[in-house]
Amino acid sequence: MRRSFSETLNRYWAWLLLLFLVAPALIAIPVSLTPKRFLSMPKGELSLRHFEKLFGSEEWMSSFWQSAVIGLTSAALATALGTLCAIGLWRVSSKWGEAVRAFLLLPLVVPPIISAMAFYRFMVPLGLIDTYAGLILAHTVLAAPLVLITVSASLAGFDPRLEQASRNLGASNWTTMRRVILPSIRPGVLAGAIFAFIASWDEIVVTLFLSKFNVYTLPRRMWNGIRENTDPTVAAAAVVLIAITIIFFIIQALNARRSRNSGET
Amino acid sequence: MIDGAVSGGLRLKALTKRFGSFTAAESVNLDIRRGEFLTLLGPSGSGKTTLLMMIAGFLDITEGDILLDGMSIAGMPPEKRNFGMVFQGYALFPHMSVRQNIAYPLDVRKRPKAEIEARVDEMLDLVQLQDFGHRLPGQLSGGQQQRVALARALCFAPPVLLLDEPLGALDKKLRVEVQDQLKDIHRRVGTTFIYVTHDQEEALSMSDRIVIMQKGRIEQVGTPEELYQKPRTRFAASFLGKSNFLTKDGALYALRPEKIDIAPKGAGQGPNRVSGTVRAMTYFGSVLKYDVTVPGMDEIEVDADAWRGGAPLAAGAEVDLSWSDAAAVRLERD
Repeated sequence: MRRSFSETLNRYWAWLLLLFLVAPALIAIPVSLTPKRFLSMPKGELSLRHFEKLFGSEEWMSSFWQSAVIGLTSAALATALGTLCAIGLWRVSSKWGEAVRAFLLLPLVVPPIISAMAFYRFMVPLGLIDTYAGLILAHTVLAAPLVLITVSASLAGFDPRLEQASRNLGASNWTTMRRVILPSIRPGVLAGAIFAFIASWDEIVVTLFLSKFNVYTLPRRMWNGIRENTDPTVAAAAVVLIAITIIFFIIQALNARRSRNSGET
Repeated sequence: MIDGAVSGGLRLKALTKRFGSFTAAESVNLDIRRGEFLTLLGPSGSGKTTLLMMIAGFLDITEGDILLDGMSIAGMPPEKRNFGMVFQGYALFPHMSVRQNIAYPLDVRKRPKAEIEARVDEMLDLVQLQDFGHRLPGQLSGGQQQRVALARALCFAPPVLLLDEPLGALDKKLRVEVQDQLKDIHRRVGTTFIYVTHDQEEALSMSDRIVIMQKGRIEQVGTPEELYQKPRTRFAASFLGKSNFLTKDGALYALRPEKIDIAPKGAGQGPNRVSGTVRAMTYFGSVLKYDVTVPGMDEIEVDADAWRGGAPLAAGAEVDLSWSDAAAVRLERD
């Protein structure tokens, strides 16, 4: 079938727009391969020396593991809290519940710098500045709304009669949740967990406020790397960061596709 | 009867449910006998589903009480009541196989594995789905899903089975078939069935007794024949079957269309006779339906036997309508 001119045009526009959105992130890839000792585009010769340096550096590797621990822990906490919250609001389903939901989504709306200041003021007297607990707590608060959204979307398609059926057949509230509700909303829970991890994995604004020496996440080290010198190791770290994010996105895409397919049969 | 079958009697005492200022069920008193097939029949909003949900324990009771074999179950959570239920749309767990669905109530009761397997086999036999145990609900037809829902609800031998419009999603032909199966299963398991429907044919063909409901109240309770032949109110007469209404000496009478004889003008006989004009005739195969205008009365509907009733009368024909004294039933109230 022949496409009309406007359709073709639309198609090019879409690709152009996509390129515009993605290109800045992809710039890191050639830069990371430069043989020079400062941030630059490689000319002809390519080198992996900055990756070598990245993986050989105790500091960078420590930041990497710190980010992973903080990301995984806050993703787990945010997923548990966000899922319970979504199920609770779904059960209540009243206008008050909707007000509570709007309130809980605030961390997504409030500019990160404001959240950062709030966390800072709150955590200084508690002695949580520059601790794992402090950062995990903050990232959990920031990520929980993402889980709330994805799980709520799953619950919107969940037939409440399944819950009634389970109770009627003799299952307690808890058993019903474990055996009927959770399996049905698993795609939403998984998607929420992945988004929560990514949110923490590349979070910088709040992290800058809450960390000093003890906790030094990957984005934090990159930030310093760019500010204090122009070492291309930062670009190598960026590539690793992007790669891990993409891996999680692929897991999420496969998960969404699988749940779509099982929904069809 | 299948193994372990029990049946319970329920008593609803002045059962009332209010949602804010709206009264969904008002002071309903009803005795449901052990082992009977009782149908709650009414239009949507009549309170029949509200009653069922209160019996199942999904709705709190505003006033009144529910007794199971003499013991109050008001306030008991649904999972403790031990009532089976077949939901509208079946509510099968989509991520579990047919076997897992049926085993679920026994599983959550932590019964031994061997017992569960044997029982599931027995239930699959009962609903004739022996070869479908390992399918997912999404891979079954509507009628098969309905049978799985029934098997799951009966699997733990509940004293009472609640059915909420279980045939609503099936096409008409299949519905009649499933009605027969349901009746048969009721006979075999002996459990008390409480069946909610708005379909009068379903109610008439399956029930031991029917409760006609309107606006949160019981209009009339009785066997299908009692209700059809002796309706007490205008609503009962018009909701269960069709009816003409006549006023005579200040009283209201219900007259079923098939109890009226129609004949060409001058040929009518019998004590109760009026003359009119056929406005329309509709052919239904076994029945001819006439709409007859009679001066000074509402339009009268007549169902005539198409085979024995003689040649059809065309629209515009002058006719005599007649009926026996017993055919017109005096109603107690409007």
